[in-house]
Amino acid sequence: MPNLLLEIGVEELPAAACMEAGLQLPELSRVHLGVTPSELFLGPRRLAFPARVPERTEDEWVKGPPENLRERAAVGFAKRYGVSPDELTVRDGFLGLEMPGRPIEEVLPERLAAIVRGLQFAKSMTWGAGFRFARPVRWICAKLDAKTIEVPLDGVPSGGVSYGHRTASPGAVEIPSADRYLELLRAVGVEPDRAVRFEQIVAGLDALGPWRDPLGKLDEVVYLVEAPLVLAGWFDERFLRLPERVVVSTMQSHQRYFPLGENRFAFVANGGEPDVVSRGNEFVLRGRLEDAEFTFERDVAVGIDGLVERTKSITFFTGAGTFADKADRLAGLVRELGGDDAAVQAGRLAKADQAAELVREFPELEGHIGATYAGLAGYGENVVQAIDEQYLPDTAGGPLPRSRAGAILAAADKLDTLTVAFGLGKRPTGSRDPFGLRRAAIGLCRLATEGEVEVPRDLMPDDVRDFVEERYEGMLDVPVEFVRAARASAVPDLGGVARVAKGLHAEAQSEEFAAVYEAYDRAHRLAGKRDDAADSIDESLFEHDTERELATAVAALDLDPADVDGSLQRAAEVAPVVSRFFDDVMVIADDERVRGNRLRVLLDLRDRLGRLGDLSQIPR
Amino acid sequence: MARRTYQEIILALEQYWADYGCVLLTPYHTEVAAGTMNPATFLRSLGPKPWKTAYLEPVIRPLDGRYGENPMRFQHYFQYQVILKPQPSDVLDLYLESLRAIGLDTTRHDVRFVEDDWEQPTVGAWGLGWEVWCDGMEITQFTYFQQLGGLDLDLIPAEITYGLDRLAMIVQDKPTVFALDWSEGVTWEDVYRENEREWSHYNFEEASVEMHQRHFDDYEAECKRLIERGLPLPAYDFVLKCSHAFNLLDARGAISVTERAAYIGRVRTLVRAVAQLYLEQQQEAYAEPVA
Repeated sequence: MPNLLLEIGVEELPAAACMEAGLQLPELSRVHLGVTPSELFLGPRRLAFPARVPERTEDEWVKGPPENLRERAAVGFAKRYGVSPDELTVRDGFLGLEMPGRPIEEVLPERLAAIVRGLQFAKSMTWGAGFRFARPVRWICAKLDAKTIEVPLDGVPSGGVSYGHRTASPGAVEIPSADRYLELLRAVGVEPDRAVRFEQIVAGLDALGPWRDPLGKLDEVVYLVEAPLVLAGWFDERFLRLPERVVVSTMQSHQRYFPLGENRFAFVANGGEPDVVSRGNEFVLRGRLEDAEFTFERDVAVGIDGLVERTKSITFFTGAGTFADKADRLAGLVRELGGDDAAVQAGRLAKADQAAELVREFPELEGHIGATYAGLAGYGENVVQAIDEQYLPDTAGGPLPRSRAGAILAAADKLDTLTVAFGLGKRPTGSRDPFGLRRAAIGLCRLATEGEVEVPRDLMPDDVRDFVEERYEGMLDVPVEFVRAARASAVPDLGGVARVAKGLHAEAQSEEFAAVYEAYDRAHRLAGKRDDAADSIDESLFEHDTERELATAVAALDLDPADVDGSLQRAAEVAPVVSRFFDDVMVIADDERVRGNRLRVLLDLRDRLGRLGDLSQIPR
Repeated sequence: MARRTYQEIILALEQYWADYGCVLLTPYHTEVAAGTMNPATFLRSLGPKPWKTAYLEPVIRPLDGRYGENPMRFQHYFQYQVILKPQPSDVLDLYLESLRAIGLDTTRHDVRFVEDDWEQPTVGAWGLGWEVWCDGMEITQFTYFQQLGGLDLDLIPAEITYGLDRLAMIVQDKPTVFALDWSEGVTWEDVYRENEREWSHYNFEEASVEMHQRHFDDYEAECKRLIERGLPLPAYDFVLKCSHAFNLLDARGAISVTERAAYIGRVRTLVRAVAQLYLEQQQEAYAEPVA
């Protein structure tokens, strides 16, 4: 099969656009060429792939009008394809035309153009051509073995020519045949293959010593260069006084450098003289670190207590006061969640860094910067650590605070944000969640379970509580019905909802569960939807011993949802009494008072059992 | 060859872009916070008429002043601005060639185009492009405008905004802007440092809040009146004046968070109306004659 090569020559693409193209090209190739590429070459200035394509397209039968319309429609249909009506054939009651396959090079121009046009980017632009792309397309190079395929694409030059490295060897490179593409581009200093560049970069970094990439820049960097040149640089030791994460963030977020430990860093250039390029990069980093240092020292001069003072004039949420107000609320909530003095102190200081200038430059380091300033001001290790950990977990699976005070403060922070936001009607809708309330709720749930923070359910307003507890439906490894059942239980703390859900699920196949479930279900179905139950039990209205027996058993039934197992055991002991009751007693008696009394016994039974949850949610 | 002085860099850029066929313009006569806001870019990028221009622009950003004490941040500095409308297909090569024309050897340095999309919601404008890095330092902002004043563009211009200070630091191999040679024997510091000190005092301490608030209102009213009179060019100048008054008030700390949004909204309304009016007049002027 002949070897095809398509190269889309572009102005420097963003890394994200390279990745998007990489995801779409195999399918576009399959749709338009019938084959998938043997490899993909993705980089900032070219998206290319080779593919083995058939020599001819497949034979086709083009469907025309129904056979019974032959007289009216056959001539027109045949004319459209330049054949005589006699040449039409019939299949399944339709006229049609046998179309023999065509040499692939006849169809490639249009199909390759369709591939280029078919690429879609999250952010795209126009530049005068009739299609959109992430950045302007400046040339197309397409070869079928040694043949050049001219791709018609709104005037974009197309031929058998590629171009070398942007600055080192910018000239045209004649590609005489598809299979020589890689070799010839490598000869002019371009590595088109992302995987090879990745290996080159990793090897270059490894050669410099242990390197780190905490913000995950390597995957991006590999798309920013065509000729990776891995170099190292140094910065002044005095910057090591800055919070380490400030230094790392300075290196990584904007400059995409890789920390090598101490005051050394690595970076990936796309060419140039190593000494000149290193010196330039060192200069840039120094400037950025000087800015950070300047800001840091101004903040330190103000001090954490001075920053707390400043938060009195910074709005947290319009309608919910300032960050100082928020800190006051946090201190109170931390107390209610059982926090010690260190945790309460951390709550008071937690939002001080919202007034820090350094946080304006490194918003991703909020919390950490405040913790650093608290440490410099002499606050204890517990306080500092709690401030540092207040935003954890900040992703669905991210780490939790390690300190008890940190976990309690983190829970208080999320509780407050949720309560305030819901109070102002900022409930998330659909996919819109600008305040990150889903993330906060999931974090709170995890703090309540994995983090073992006891969060009283009555600390949350009803709508917040529903929203938070609903999160467990997607988090716990039990069917959602068990979570729904557990949410109706009498368990007092948020984590208890998860424990009850799991407890019920673990026991769902046991005899005890079946017995309790049946008792609950019968009582609920018979009495739950009626409105004629008495308000309280009147023993004088009992007519059967079993009535009295059941009422006595129910009154003694004190289930603790914190102990699902034990509660099921004890509840199961009542089950035979319930069965006897239903055997002996006609609940829906003619006498209104007797009936009301019996319904009351059943409702009490349901409610006592219901301390374990709304069992009717669980399908049997 | 001796390293080019600051003024020689400017001259080399002027020559280079004049040779390419650009109309050389001079800085605009009222304060702008970016070369983009000069009407030679902002308004001329609208409409169906091709346009090529190059000009030096002193940008005025009161909030960025540091009393001449920080050698990298100023309330007054220079951009060199080029607009090529429509964008030619070899525009990046033209740009790299211009770097060589001012004495920057692009084979010794690591010159790269790093994604940086530009958005200025205040004036309803956005584009896609890059910041150009030289050894990790941003030396130029390169943008393909897509919308200005909330309007789609007929012809896509390429905007090249050179940060002259940083470029000169690389060309002259100087560690600070202060130390740049402006001309033979005269440094940047000699020419502009006192300027920075005094204007920083003015911007942060002396500017009359009451006067600039009043001016903002007056300029806004004048702009609206001129729009009604069908005079987009003078109206646009009053947008710039409003914008500068706002920037001064901001530097004086006279604008609260809530007021801020309101001021920005007022400027945006003006910009959009002026852009709309300008475009309508352009389209009338260049409409195909009716047979």
